[in-house]
Amino acid sequence: MSSWLDYTINGLIVGNVYALVAVGLALIFGVSRLINFAQGSIYLVGAYIGWVAVVQLHTPLPLTIIVVAVAAALVGLIIERFGLRPLQNSVRIAPLLATIGISFVLDQLVMLTFSPNPRALPSQLPDVRFQVGGGTIGPLDLLIAGVGLTSALLLFVFLRYSKLGWAVRAASQDRDAAMQMGVDVNRVNQAVFGIAAALGGVSGLLVGMYYNQIDTAMSLQATLKGVVAEVVGGAGNVPGAVIGSLLLGLVESYGVAVFGTSYRNLFAFLLLVVVLVLRPNGLFASARQAPPEPLTGTFIAPSRPVRIPRWALLAATAVFAVLPFFPVSFYVLQTLINAWLLGMLALSLTLVAGTIGQVSLGHAALLAIGAYTSALLSLTLNVPVGLAIIGGGLMSAALGTALISPSFRLRGHYVSIATLAIGEIVSLVILNWESVTRGPIGISGIPPLSLFGYELISPNSIYGFSFVVMVVLALLQGRLLSSHLGRSFRAIRDDDIAARAYGLSLNRYKSLAFIFGGFAAGVSGGIAAHLYSYINHETFNTQQSILALTVVILGGLGNVVGAIVGAVALVGLPEVFRIAAEYRILIYGIVLLLLVRFRPQGLLGTI
Amino acid sequence: MTAPDALLALSNVNTFYGQAQVHFDLSITVARGHIVCLLGGNASGKSTTMKIILGLVKPRSGEVTFDGASLIGLTTPQIVRRGIASVPEARRLFADMSVRENILMGAFVRNDREAIAQDLDRMLTLFPKLGQRLSQRAGSLSGGEQQMVAMARALMSRPRMIVMDEPTMGLSPLYVDRVLELIRTINQEGVSVFMVEQNASLALEIAHEAYVLQTGKIVLSGSAKALKDDPRVRDAYLGGSEAA
Ligand SMILES: Nc1ncnc2c1ncn2[C@@H]1O[C@H](COP(=O)(O)OP(=O)(O)OP(=O)(O)O)[C@@H](O)[C@H]1O
Ligand SMILES: [Mg+2]
Repeated sequence: MSSWLDYTINGLIVGNVYALVAVGLALIFGVSRLINFAQGSIYLVGAYIGWVAVVQLHTPLPLTIIVVAVAAALVGLIIERFGLRPLQNSVRIAPLLATIGISFVLDQLVMLTFSPNPRALPSQLPDVRFQVGGGTIGPLDLLIAGVGLTSALLLFVFLRYSKLGWAVRAASQDRDAAMQMGVDVNRVNQAVFGIAAALGGVSGLLVGMYYNQIDTAMSLQATLKGVVAEVVGGAGNVPGAVIGSLLLGLVESYGVAVFGTSYRNLFAFLLLVVVLVLRPNGLFASARQAPPEPLTGTFIAPSRPVRIPRWALLAATAVFAVLPFFPVSFYVLQTLINAWLLGMLALSLTLVAGTIGQVSLGHAALLAIGAYTSALLSLTLNVPVGLAIIGGGLMSAALGTALISPSFRLRGHYVSIATLAIGEIVSLVILNWESVTRGPIGISGIPPLSLFGYELISPNSIYGFSFVVMVVLALLQGRLLSSHLGRSFRAIRDDDIAARAYGLSLNRYKSLAFIFGGFAAGVSGGIAAHLYSYINHETFNTQQSILALTVVILGGLGNVVGAIVGAVALVGLPEVFRIAAEYRILIYGIVLLLLVRFRPQGLLGTI
Repeated sequence: MTAPDALLALSNVNTFYGQAQVHFDLSITVARGHIVCLLGGNASGKSTTMKIILGLVKPRSGEVTFDGASLIGLTTPQIVRRGIASVPEARRLFADMSVRENILMGAFVRNDREAIAQDLDRMLTLFPKLGQRLSQRAGSLSGGEQQMVAMARALMSRPRMIVMDEPTMGLSPLYVDRVLELIRTINQEGVSVFMVEQNASLALEIAHEAYVLQTGKIVLSGSAKALKDDPRVRDAYLGGSEAA
C-alpha cells in the first residue's frame, strides 16, 4: 500500500467491519443499557465457523455467510436466554460481569477446540485488484462494503417497518413505557442479541478473509474496537455507531500510515478516552438525552458480610507465616507466592471496585507500571531492589491515578470501559516507547529480590517476603476502611449524588482510593518483575485484570479478607485439583458466571 | 371481597422497596365506568400504586384483580393486553420517534390494521392540534402537546381502563382544563379511569370517587362530592397555600 487513497479505502473497509460489531453493541446497549463484552467472542466464533465452512465443508461464499450469520445468531440467542435473562432483577453490574465471563468461556472453548495457533481463512474470491484513481481495490473490499451496506439497509427496514423493529426502537428509548404499550422486552432482547450476534459473526468471517488469518486473540480486540466505535458514536445510537466505526477505521489507517503498525490500537484507545472525557454521550448525542446510566450505586449486591473472629484471622495468619518451616514442597510455596501477589492486586481492586464502586477492568496496567518502574530503577539506576519496589508502588499510585483521573466523572459501565482502554494504552505505550521500555524486546536480567543487600532467592525467603508485604498492605487497608475515610468511600459508592450533596469532593476521594490501590498493585507488579527476571508489554494483560476482578467478586467486593481468600482459592484450587493450565481460564470464566448468577455477594460478603 | 361492579380492585396490598415499606394494607376499588382519583402528597406512594396495577412493581402481599381475575404474577405486557392502558408520570413519550409512531405504538397489542388506521383518525378529531404535528419528533413538542399524545397513545389500545399519573402536572391552566375535559370525554365513551393527582380541587371536579393516601395508608375515601366538602381534605389539599 502506498497512496493516501489506499489508506482511505483500507480505513473505510476496516471501519465497515468495525461497524458490523459496533451496530450490534449499540442495539444491545440501546435496549438493555449493557455493554456486551461477549460481542468479540461471537465475532471469534463467526470466524471459526467460517473456517470450518470454507476449509472443511467447502461451502460457496454466499452459503458461508449465511451459515455464519445463522450459527452466530444462535450463539447470541443462547447467551441472552441463559446468560443474561436470569439476571434481569440483579444488580446493575451483574450483566456486564456475566458477558465478561461468557466471553472467557467462549474464547477458551474456541481455543481448546481449534488450538491457539493462527489459521488461514481463504477468501474464496479471485485475487485481483482494480486500479481506482491512485489506489487499488479488490473484490474482497467490494464484498465487505456490500455486506456492510446490505446489513445497514436490512436493519433500517427492520427498525422502521416491522412491528418488532418498532418495539426495539421504543424499548431503547424508554423501556418501561414500551412495556406499558404491551411490548414484551424479552422478545426485544432476543431480537437484538440475535441480530447483533449475526452481524458480529459475519464481521469475524470477513476480517478473517481480509487478513487471511484468524486466531483467538481476535476476540478481545474486536470487543475493544467495537466498544470504541460505539461509544464514539454515542452509546446506543445505531447510525452513530456506523459513523463512529468509519471514523475509527480512518483514524487507525492514517495513524498507521504516519507512525507504523504498532500504533494502530493506540490511536483507537486514545480516541476513546478523548471522547469519553470530552463528550461522554458520544459525538452525535443530542444534549437533551438522559444520562444512560442510573444515577445511584447499587453496583454491589447488598449483603451481610461474614464475620470472622479475630482469633481465627490471627490463627490463619500464623499458620501461613510458619508454613515454610515445615517440610512443604517447593510447588506449594510457589503456588502460594502467586496467591500472595494476586492477593495484593485483589486488595487494590477490591478497594477501587468494591469500596468506592469504580469497577476497573484495567488493573493489570498498575502491575505493569510498578513492574517496569522497579525493574528499570534497579537495572539502570542501581537502586536497591527493596527501594525500587517501593518506587514501583509510588509510580503506580501517581501515574495510575493521573491516568484514570479524567474518567472520574464517568459512571458505571463507562468507568469499566475507560479503565479497560487505559489499561490497553499503558501496554501500548510500553510497546512503543522503546527508548525507555525497550519496546517489544522487553526487559531481561532484572535483579532478583533482595533486602538490605541480602538476596532473597530461596523459595522460603521469597514466600516470607511476599506474605509479609501482603499482610502489611491488608492491615493498612483494614485501618483505612474502618476510618472516616472508609465511610466516605462507601457513601460515594452507594449514592454519589447524595455524597456530593453532603459536600464530599468525589474527585479527591476517588483519587485517594486509586493512590492507595495503585500503590498495592504497583508493589505486587514490582515484586513480580524481580521474581520473573524478564517482563514485556504482554506480561500483565487484560486476562489478569479480569482474573483479579473474579477474585474480588469471589471474596466479596470491598472485603479485605475476602480478597485474599479469593486469591488463594482461585490460584490454589486449580492446583489442588491438578487442572491443566489450558483449562484454567475456562474455569475462571465459569466461576465468574456462577458467582454473578448465584452468589453476587461472594464467599465472605460485600462490605 | 370486591363489589360485583368493581372493574379494578386492590385489596390489602403491602409494597416494599428493599426494607422500606411504601404501602400499608392498601385497598382501592374502581367501579366500572367511573373516574377514581388517588390524592396524596409527594412520596406518599401514588406512583407506586400505578406501578403495582401495571405490574411494574410486585407487591409483597395483597391481591390485585381486574374484571374479576387476578393480575398478580402477570407481566406488564400481559396486563396491558387485558385492557389497561397507561399515561405514565411525566408522559414518557418515545422522544426520538415521530408523533404518529408514538400514537401507533399505543396500538402495539392490536393487529387489526384498518381499525387502527380509523382509530388514528379518531384521535385526530379528539386532539385536533396533533394533526399538523404527526411527523414531528415527539420530544420536540411542548408539555401540553406531549400530554395529548400520551393520552391518544393510551386510547389506541382500546382499553377498558386507563391509569394516569398526574396528567395535569406542569401544564398551563388552559391545558389543565383541556386535559380534564378530555378525561371526562374519554370516560363518557365507556373507559374507566384511575388517576393519581396532587391537585385535589381539580381532580375532585371530574372524579366520581376519591381516595386520600398519606405515607402509604388510605386515610380518607368516599365520593368526590363528599370529599370536596370534607374539612380534612379542604385543610390538607384545598387550603390554598400549604398543600401537602
Ligand atoms: N425504585 C424505587 N426504589 C426505592 N424507593 C423508591 C423507588 N421508587 C419510589 N421509591 C420511594 O417510594 C416512596 C413512594 O414513591 P412514589 O413515587 O410512589 O411517590 P409519589 O406519591 O408518586 O410521589 P410524587 O408526588 O413525588 O410523584 C418514596 O419515598 C420514594 O422515594
Ligand atoms: Mg409520583
